[in-house]
Amino acid sequence: MSADIDIDHVTIRFGDFVAVKDVSLKIAGGEFFSILGPSGCGKTTILRTVSGFLAPTAGTVRIGGKDMAGVGPNKRPTALIFQNLALFPLMSVAENIGYGLRVRGVPGKERRRKADELLSLVALPGSGDKRIGELSGGQKQRVAIARALAVEPQVLLLDEPLSALDLRLRQHMRTELRAIQKRVGVTFIYITHDQGEALTMSDRVAVMNHGVVEQVGDGHAVYDSPATPFVASFVGENNGVSGRISAVADGFAQIDTALGSLKGRAGAGLEPGAAATLFVRPERLRPAAEGIAAMVSATAFEGHLTHVGLSCADGHSLTMSLGRDIGAHALTPGAEVRIGYNPAEAIVLRQEAR
Amino acid sequence: MSSALIGRAMLGFYFLAFFGFLFGPLIVMSVTAFNTPEYPQVWPFEQFTFAWFQKLAQDDNLMQGLQNSFIIGAFVVALAVPMGLAGAIVMTQVYAPARGLYYLVVVSPVLTPGVIIGISTVIFWKDVTGFTGAQSLFTGMFLATLGQSTFIASYCMLIFLSRLQRYDRTQEEAALDLGASRGQVFLHILLPFLRPAVVSAAVIAFLSSFENYNTTTFAILADKTLTTVLAGRVRQGMTPAISAMAVLIIAVTVAGAILYEAAKARERRDAAV
Repeated sequence: MSADIDIDHVTIRFGDFVAVKDVSLKIAGGEFFSILGPSGCGKTTILRTVSGFLAPTAGTVRIGGKDMAGVGPNKRPTALIFQNLALFPLMSVAENIGYGLRVRGVPGKERRRKADELLSLVALPGSGDKRIGELSGGQKQRVAIARALAVEPQVLLLDEPLSALDLRLRQHMRTELRAIQKRVGVTFIYITHDQGEALTMSDRVAVMNHGVVEQVGDGHAVYDSPATPFVASFVGENNGVSGRISAVADGFAQIDTALGSLKGRAGAGLEPGAAATLFVRPERLRPAAEGIAAMVSATAFEGHLTHVGLSCADGHSLTMSLGRDIGAHALTPGAEVRIGYNPAEAIVLRQEAR
Repeated sequence: MSSALIGRAMLGFYFLAFFGFLFGPLIVMSVTAFNTPEYPQVWPFEQFTFAWFQKLAQDDNLMQGLQNSFIIGAFVVALAVPMGLAGAIVMTQVYAPARGLYYLVVVSPVLTPGVIIGISTVIFWKDVTGFTGAQSLFTGMFLATLGQSTFIASYCMLIFLSRLQRYDRTQEEAALDLGASRGQVFLHILLPFLRPAVVSAAVIAFLSSFENYNTTTFAILADKTLTTVLAGRVRQGMTPAISAMAVLIIAVTVAGAILYEAAKARERRDAAV
C-alpha cells in the first residue's frame, strides 16, 4: 500500500537558476514526512519532481525502488493535493472523487460506492451530490483528500493544502490529516512553510533553504538541536546573539558577545576565534540573580504566556516568554532585570560563509 | 430651467436619438413589408397586407439563396469552430517569445479585406483543383465555405482565447495526476470549461457567414446566397418582398436572442444553487 521514496542527489535547474541543489532524502514507507522552508526554497519543486511534472536536471527519484525517469505523472503511484486544491468545479463531489477511477474504466456504480466510502472516511458522509461551489473551505479540503485517496496511491503529496484555511480550521485539519494518514497507512510528503504544521503532524521534518536541505530529523531534533543558524531561527521563535568563540570544551562553547561571555552547547565545527551565534529560545530565558543586564521595554500578555521584550547592551534586544507561575506581572516596562538561562538549553552554531 | 432638468432633457434626447438611429431603419423596413404599394413605402400607409410574404415564398431565386446561406453557415460552423479552438490552444502552448508573431499570423485574416480573401480563395483553389484533377470541387458553395472559414476561424479563436485566459491549468495537472491521458484531460476538463465559448463561437460563426457579402460575392462563382441575391435585387430596384424577408430574419434573430438569454439565465440559476 505504501512505498518508500528515495530522492538521490537531485538537482533541478531552471535556466541559470538552481532551484534544488544536490538534495538527497530517504523517506520510509508509511512515514509522514514534511518539507519545511520559506517560500522559494525549492520545496514545491521537489514535490513536482516526485509527482512527475518536472524532470530532475541531475539525480534520480525512486518510488518503491523503481526509477521514475521518463514515467509521466499519470503513470506514477503518487497523488498530489494542490495548494489551490484544483477541484473540478463542473463536476459534483462524487464525480470529483470518482474521476481517477473513471479514467481507469471503473463503472459508474462502483465509482459512486467508492466515493461514498471515502466521504465517510473524511467525515463528509452524504455530500456526494453537492456541487463544489456549495462546500466550505474545510469541506473542499476533505474532498481533495478523498479524491487523491480514491486512486489508492502509494504516496500522497500535499502542497501546503491548509494555507487557505483560517487558524482554527487549520489546527483542526492538522489532527484530522494525521488521523487519516494513520488510518490509510500511505506515505505522506507534506510541504509547508508553517513550522507548527510540520512539527505537530510529521514523523520527520526536512528543513530547506535556498534549494538545500539544512537538516532532517524528528520535531524534537529540529527544534532543540538545530544544525544551522537558519534552522535555529526559522523553526520557532529564537534569540540569536552573535560573537566569536573563545573556548570549546566538553561539548560546550564559550562565546564573546556584546552581552558578555555566554555559554551554550557546542554545534559542529566550532573552534576558538570562529564567528558564531548563540541561540536561546524565549521560553528558556528566566529572570535571575545574576546574568545578562537588561531593561524591560514592553510586555505582551497572551494568556498562558507573557512575552517580555528586553533591551540590552549595544542596542541588542531579546524576547523572554514566561509562564503564569513565574511572576511576569512584576516586570513592568522600564524595570531593570538580570536574565539567565541553563547553558544546556542554549546552542552555539557556526556562522556559515555563504 | 434648472441645470438638472436640462441634463435630464439632454439625456432623454440622446436616448431617443440613439435608439432611433439604431432601430429606425428596421422599423421603416418592417412597416413597408405590410403596405400594399409596389415600391417600399411607409407613408401613406395604404392597406395592410400579407401579399409580400406570399410573393417572397414564390421567389425561387431568393429561396434558393436563403437555403444555400443556411447550408454554407452550417459548414462554416463545423469548420471554423474546431479550427479556432485548435488555434487558441496552440497559442497557449507556443514558446512565449514567439507568441506575438503567432498571434499576428492567426489574426491576420480578420485584418485582411474580405474582397482580397474572396479573390485569393478563387485563384488558389482553381489552381489546386486544376492540378489535382478534382475539378468537381471547384464550386461556389465549396469555395464560399472555405473562404468565409479563413477569417471566421480567427473570430472564433479570439473568443476561445479570452475564455482560456481564465482557465486554471492546475485542473489539468490534477486530472493528469489522477491518471487521465492527454485526450481525457481535453474531453473531461478543457472542453466542458470551454462549452459556453463553443456556443458563442458557433453563433458568431453562423451569423458572420450568413451576413457575409464581400468574400462571398467572389467565392460564390455561379452559385448564390441570400446576400448575393439581395445585392442583385437592390440594383434592379427594391420590392417590399425584400422587406418581408427582413421582417422574418429580424423575428428569427430576436427569438434566438431571447432563447439564448433564457438559457444563460437558467444556467446561472443552476450554478448559484
